[in-house]
Amino acid sequence: MPKLQLSRVTKSYGAFHALKAIDLSVDPGEFIVMVGPSGCGKSTLLKAIAGLEAITSGSIVINGRDVTSAQPSDRGIAMVFQSYALYPHMTVAENMGFGLRMANRPKEEIRVAVERAAATLRLTDQLEKLPRQLSGGQRQRVAIGRAITRSPEVFLFDEPLSNLDAALRTQMRVELASLHAQLNATMIYVTHDQIEAMTMASRIVVLNAGRIEQVGSPLDLYRNPDNQFVAGFLGAPRMNFLAGTVEAIVGGVATIQLAGASAYAMPLRPGADLAPGSAVTVGLRPESLTPTDGAGIPGTVRLVELLGRETILYVDAGPLRSVGSDTGTANLTVHVASAVAAPPGAAVRLRFNPDDAYLFGGDGLRTLSAPKSI
Amino acid sequence: MGSMPALPTLIEGADMHDHWRRHREWLSPTLFILPGAAIFGVVIIWSALQSVWISLHDWDGMGPMTWVGLGNFEELFRDDNFYTSLKNNLIWLVVFMLAPPIGLAIALLVNQQIAGMRFLKSLFFVPLVLASVAVGVVFTWLYTPGIGLLAIIFSAFGATAPALLSDERLVTFAVVVAALWPQIAFCMVLYLAGLNGLSEDLIGAGRVDGARGWRMLRHVVLPQLSQVTFIAIAVTAIGALRSFDIVSVMTQGGPFGSSSVLAYMMYEQSIFSYRFGYGAAIATVLFAIMAVFIAWYLQSIYKAERGNG
Repeated sequence: MPKLQLSRVTKSYGAFHALKAIDLSVDPGEFIVMVGPSGCGKSTLLKAIAGLEAITSGSIVINGRDVTSAQPSDRGIAMVFQSYALYPHMTVAENMGFGLRMANRPKEEIRVAVERAAATLRLTDQLEKLPRQLSGGQRQRVAIGRAITRSPEVFLFDEPLSNLDAALRTQMRVELASLHAQLNATMIYVTHDQIEAMTMASRIVVLNAGRIEQVGSPLDLYRNPDNQFVAGFLGAPRMNFLAGTVEAIVGGVATIQLAGASAYAMPLRPGADLAPGSAVTVGLRPESLTPTDGAGIPGTVRLVELLGRETILYVDAGPLRSVGSDTGTANLTVHVASAVAAPPGAAVRLRFNPDDAYLFGGDGLRTLSAPKSI
Repeated sequence: MGSMPALPTLIEGADMHDHWRRHREWLSPTLFILPGAAIFGVVIIWSALQSVWISLHDWDGMGPMTWVGLGNFEELFRDDNFYTSLKNNLIWLVVFMLAPPIGLAIALLVNQQIAGMRFLKSLFFVPLVLASVAVGVVFTWLYTPGIGLLAIIFSAFGATAPALLSDERLVTFAVVVAALWPQIAFCMVLYLAGLNGLSEDLIGAGRVDGARGWRMLRHVVLPQLSQVTFIAIAVTAIGALRSFDIVSVMTQGGPFGSSSVLAYMMYEQSIFSYRFGYGAAIATVLFAIMAVFIAWYLQSIYKAERGNG
């Protein structure tokens, strides 16, 4: 039985549809990360699951029970907020025990639950402090502890790490992942940080404009995005998108003419709806492009980011055309897994393996190139 | 040689500049505070000190002042009118304390997201824009025996309304109720601003934790409004103590001084009886009582600021 079942969940504000018929089934113990650009509806969806936002239509079932119109406290969920939302006038212990206190549990039971959660989160020494006496990371742990003491069916996280500095965020990411393993809990986690999504999720849900674009394991989404949106959203630096034209299709392999460059043979996925002459978008991950001494796309280095063990090159690739570019020239991002000394202004040639390229086209800019092995 | 005299001036200028730069940190705030501090010093501090000085004299306001030491205070503490006024001030203080909770209740009511609440909100806001003299006049009409709204309501039940403003036992309460009306509106506005600033996440956390209705108010909402509550109580207390205009408009302290308060008594003694020394003594006592509240107010603000720092 799924732990959480969303069926046709819709949320409208007048004519604006924040959520458009969301279907999602979450198994026990899964760590679901919902990602998407600002305003895609990910936070609204989380609040709808929590019961903080009433949905317009559809149903929400948690642990086999329809909770669509239940109060937030009666849904078997606990939520960790972006702002931590700790009660500022209560001590850490009172904050963590508040949910049980409101449920009229006996004092002794509350004390035991709070102490156990505090021990898990290394907060035992902080129990009598007020939230404002704690550091950001400690407050974050108290917010998680408050969720744990409720022993919910489903944990909900709303961008919980976005207020922490980079070092602490990395540390908390690891702690959250191990906490998930330790509690074997079902977690739904909203973020705009794709590193959090890639590292923590058992499955990623990519949302865009109130719709689910794709659901799958992190690597699956990275290697085989369903469409151009998912391909562009996951991966940093972002995938390069170039304009191309289909020259010919022979035996499931299309010959694609990149605007201003040579033609490449790219395998198509079965049933790809593509005809010679149609315009397509060619997607290239930055790591698929390699500087070469031989033949390749000519370009000029505009900017170099030396990151130590890796280098990001920003290259003006003159005759190529980027999709969506106003200037008409392509700016390619190239990732090299070593330190490269390339001064700005230097001429480079870039090559890529056509098997690593993606093709997008047609309705919804779906992926047309053959699936890649993971 | 002709250009030589200009040189020292230049260096001096640079020196000035340097001097300003070094002391800018304390000089500029001091310069900004100075005008306000000067006005406060003359209008508030100097007047208060002068008033204490006058209270030690016998003075008709124009002629020479005669030193009487604590004579005015000795007389004051033997004056029945003083105790009546003091008792009335106490009644004001106690009844006025209804303003914060009622203001909060109305704020919670009109803060609901229901159609028409904006209109209702503006209705509750009305007494705040009325001059208190107008409020006093309106309530005097309301209480008028025979033709006032109160009389009409009573007669609808076949009863006769008490003549509130000429009843020695009820008059102070009748006046306080009139003054309470704008005070409630004031507290409502304070609480509405406070409710606007509530953290939505915190309310959400409360809902997830199962706090509903009264328990949500008690455990999640009110603690967030503690600063507003503090200001509402402090301002209401000081408002009750300095009440003057409504008493002046509605009863002029009557009947037989039974609705007088310290501020009104001070005014009456000074202006009508030409006893500025005695009036100043009343003012000094009133100032001492208020100082307790002001000290408490300042101390709490100071503590809150240190807590945040």
